[in-house]
Amino acid sequence: MNALSRREMIQASAATVAAVALPGSVALASAPSQDNITLRLQADPRDYQEVIDAYAGVAPNVTVEPVSVTGIDHAEVATKILASLAAGTPVDIGFAATEATQLYAGEGLAMGMKDRLLDQPDDLMEYFSDVSPVLVETDFYEGDLYQLPRDFNAANMWLNTKLVGEAGLEMPGEDWTKDDFNEYAKALTGLGPEGDSFGFAWNNGLWGGWLPWIFVNGSNLLSEERVGGGEWLWDTFYADDPNAAGRGGGFRWPEPQANNAANVEALEHVVALTRDGYAPSVERGFAENLSGFFAADKIGMYPGGGFFTGFLQDAGMEPGTYDAQFWPWWQSQRHQLGVGALWILIGGSEDAAWDFVKWHTGRDVMEMIGFFRVTRTTPARRSMCTAERFPNVSNWNIFYDTVDARPDTGPIPAPVFSIELTNIFTRYTEVAVSLEQSPQDTLDAMQRELEDLYARNA
Amino acid sequence: MASEATLGSGRRNWLPSWLAGDTVQGIRRQRMVLGILFLLPTLIGLILFVLGPIVVAVAMGFMKWNVFRPPEFVALKNFARLFQHDLVGNSFSNTFVMMAMTVGMLEVFAIALALSVHRFARSRLAYFFRTVWFLPVLLSGVSVAVTLSYMFHTDFGVVNYYLGVLGIDKVPWLVSSDVVRLSVSLATVWRNLGFTFIIYLGGVSALPQEILEAATVDGARGLKRLWLITLPLLSPTILFATVIDVIRLLQFFDEPYVMTRGGPGDSSRTAVMMVYDTAFANLEFGYASSISVVLFLIILAVTGFQFLLSKRWVFYQ
Amino acid sequence: MTVINRLSTRRRGDEDVVERIPDWMPRNAADWLAMAFMVAIGMLTIMPIIWVMSTSLRTPAESFTVPPEWLPEDLYFGNYLQVFDEIPFVYQMGNSFFVTLSTVVGQLTTATLAGYTFARLYFPGRDALFWVVLATLMIPYQATLIPLFVIISKVFGLADTLWSLILPALPTAFGTFLLRQYFLQIPVEYEEAAMMDGANQFQIFRRVYLPMVAPGMAILAVLAFNGKWNDFLTPLIFMNTTSRFPITLGINDLQRYMMTGSISVVLAAIVMATLPVVIVYIFGQRYLIEGLMVGGLKG
Repeated sequence: MNALSRREMIQASAATVAAVALPGSVALASAPSQDNITLRLQADPRDYQEVIDAYAGVAPNVTVEPVSVTGIDHAEVATKILASLAAGTPVDIGFAATEATQLYAGEGLAMGMKDRLLDQPDDLMEYFSDVSPVLVETDFYEGDLYQLPRDFNAANMWLNTKLVGEAGLEMPGEDWTKDDFNEYAKALTGLGPEGDSFGFAWNNGLWGGWLPWIFVNGSNLLSEERVGGGEWLWDTFYADDPNAAGRGGGFRWPEPQANNAANVEALEHVVALTRDGYAPSVERGFAENLSGFFAADKIGMYPGGGFFTGFLQDAGMEPGTYDAQFWPWWQSQRHQLGVGALWILIGGSEDAAWDFVKWHTGRDVMEMIGFFRVTRTTPARRSMCTAERFPNVSNWNIFYDTVDARPDTGPIPAPVFSIELTNIFTRYTEVAVSLEQSPQDTLDAMQRELEDLYARNA
Repeated sequence: MASEATLGSGRRNWLPSWLAGDTVQGIRRQRMVLGILFLLPTLIGLILFVLGPIVVAVAMGFMKWNVFRPPEFVALKNFARLFQHDLVGNSFSNTFVMMAMTVGMLEVFAIALALSVHRFARSRLAYFFRTVWFLPVLLSGVSVAVTLSYMFHTDFGVVNYYLGVLGIDKVPWLVSSDVVRLSVSLATVWRNLGFTFIIYLGGVSALPQEILEAATVDGARGLKRLWLITLPLLSPTILFATVIDVIRLLQFFDEPYVMTRGGPGDSSRTAVMMVYDTAFANLEFGYASSISVVLFLIILAVTGFQFLLSKRWVFYQ
Repeated sequence: MTVINRLSTRRRGDEDVVERIPDWMPRNAADWLAMAFMVAIGMLTIMPIIWVMSTSLRTPAESFTVPPEWLPEDLYFGNYLQVFDEIPFVYQMGNSFFVTLSTVVGQLTTATLAGYTFARLYFPGRDALFWVVLATLMIPYQATLIPLFVIISKVFGLADTLWSLILPALPTAFGTFLLRQYFLQIPVEYEEAAMMDGANQFQIFRRVYLPMVAPGMAILAVLAFNGKWNDFLTPLIFMNTTSRFPITLGINDLQRYMMTGSISVVLAAIVMATLPVVIVYIFGQRYLIEGLMVGGLKG
């Protein structure tokens, strides 16, 4: 089934649904007129209005219409995208974080960019020279590229330096280890104005949960392998970049390995933090508040990426009382990351959409995007990661160094069924961190359910 | 002419003769025509926007559909699967446990509040309390999520803080699989008490005072009067409120979803959360529909049973 | 009517003296018990709400305290101002009002008519239909959401309009059930008297029954207002244009800023969005309670 007919199939599938209810009343959306094109862009107008206005000057016959698809988490956004697909009114240009990249590509909804990139390589030479190959590789699926990275966040460690000072410690160096971390967690507990701080806190999700510990312990939740077939890109755009060596055409996660020894060890590590009172109870509905407690000097260390800069500013945390560092070494210092980017829906407006997406990679365009102004996320362009972008963060350089200086950093596991994967992962994690089941038993059970998941999606 | 001004304008006789209200048959016809006319807006709306989607959902229960591909007919496979699926069974039993706890607390508290406030019926104090109790009903899901997750947090929450002041150890409200169903039920009672209370207030206000006073004179006082006189008189309202609450709470979703997402593990996962996650996270719309169909049949059976049982305890004047 | 005429007799010397006691004063043990219970529930109810309000008046940095501070120290209105910067608050409130008021008026109409039919007008198949209506309450809304959205967008072409939020909400099984119960409790004698007077069936409905179910309609209005005002899942799926969002979606957008912003701003928006509902309730309550005093609900 080729990609174009796949979209027709979706339309047909939605038509079937409507037809069950009201036979004969189905009308598919008519094709857009050729001279004036409207592109529906999945973006929050607050962030994108300036970009859209600027594009009106670049391409007067194209109207870009922002479609706000906001949600607290990835599942909420996906719900909405699915509903719009079912109704036959999807966007022309979507946004996907790593969690959804393979879903849209794998279902044949997204346009592969290989042919167009090879057609006009010069147009994007400057862009790729400014973007780490680590980020680009995550947007591959089975040898084709589906997205051009816009922003990313790796899980680094934020430290409350006021508490660090109170404990008589210095900010840790880049090469600090898991054992150093444990010392910090201990030392930063029981401090602060009320003497009730916790050394470390984290919330239970796929990105930034306890997955970073799995990564630095040299493991992954699912087995990970590189697909071949990306040479066309690496040879064209990254011929001189040593960090591009050995990269392929995307990641694949052939089977679950939740209960391997390294993962059990990683889970035991975080469970011990809660059990010994260095980390607060891990509760789902509370997740958004934790960062606030960090700002209020009640938490010593907290996982976060460059996006946390904007938060801490908004939260009114005093400059000079916080800083960031790499995630500590264990077996490795491989960070886990998520990348966000636009993708193009197959459906007739690909040419116009491609023009927009290509234009949108320009540095001057990206500078117009609202969420880079207050640094609510980390830009994928190296040249945009500057001290000014991360005010009051002395170690601001580590955000981009996470991919430049630690090029083994890789994406969170995100196969086509990533939403269900996340649910299984977080559900079992809860049982272990509430100390109701041993890490080994928990991960054995998680593994069984992941195997079922794989069998169902085979 | 005076009767013209009151209710007698029917004498003008603008109705066609077959609808004339001067024969029993004419009245019957009037009622039938009026009944059908009155029902039309509701019926048309229900068919288009409620029954239509329900029929589709039920049909989907026999299909496999992930939105991306056309639905595929799989007969009873979904149903066969759900009866062997532990998670589904577990979510149904959680739903029943939490429904029972919540409805139990709701009805008892709401009746007690309605009877209590009735003692001060016309005072400003009653006005004040009625407003206060209803406030949580007016809050949206987001605010309840933010607030209650905060209150119940083991280490940072208010509840444990004040228990600590009283010398009680921290209770893992939302992270212990033994306690979580109670915590979520308490939160639900907090949010819904005003709703149920309003319904009972209507019932209590309408209690015939003559009968109550006569009973008091006859020596029925205190709990005896409550049990033998007041509650039986209130029974039609109790039926309505419990039927509505049971239907609503068997479709428990908001509070557990925002507070625990069904955790820890699966201990507060409800049937409708199962439907939601199966559809929107796992993209198995067909399977999700089959779970809804089973839930629907259960709710129908429970409601039917309540009405059947009500013949034995509901007292109509 | 011992409850309402709170006159109390006390013996003073040889003569009975009638004293007026304030109507809120407990007079006996049972009254005191009731009062204690009311106060206890009232405290439990209002504490979280006080926390919401006081946190919304604190600077983000001061929002997180254990133990919580129940009263804001210095009133900080910056959070409220920031709401207007982040979302088109006025527009979204306007949308919520339009959608909610249309829905309330529509539900009152459809439910009153249908409830009356199910209570007082008979035709063959009526009771079976009543069960069909009741049964629609029992299927999880989440299961029908996608088919409903497909119908709304493909059949009616209403996706991303405020009508897509109003039309599907007009028929109400709950309201029909509620008002049916109210109509049922009105003694048939009134109707018979009107018929003796020559009124036709519509006049009986309009002039005899309708005024008497006003309390039921008031309850439905309050509950419908509140349900629609706080509706989240439907607009989340149906709406795309920020300026057409109801305020619940606006708050959801804001909440995204909790991870990259501040909880006090979100709470400020919640307070502002809840205020209209509270005002509607406070004003509506007068009618509601007056109505309830006249007649109540029976099955």
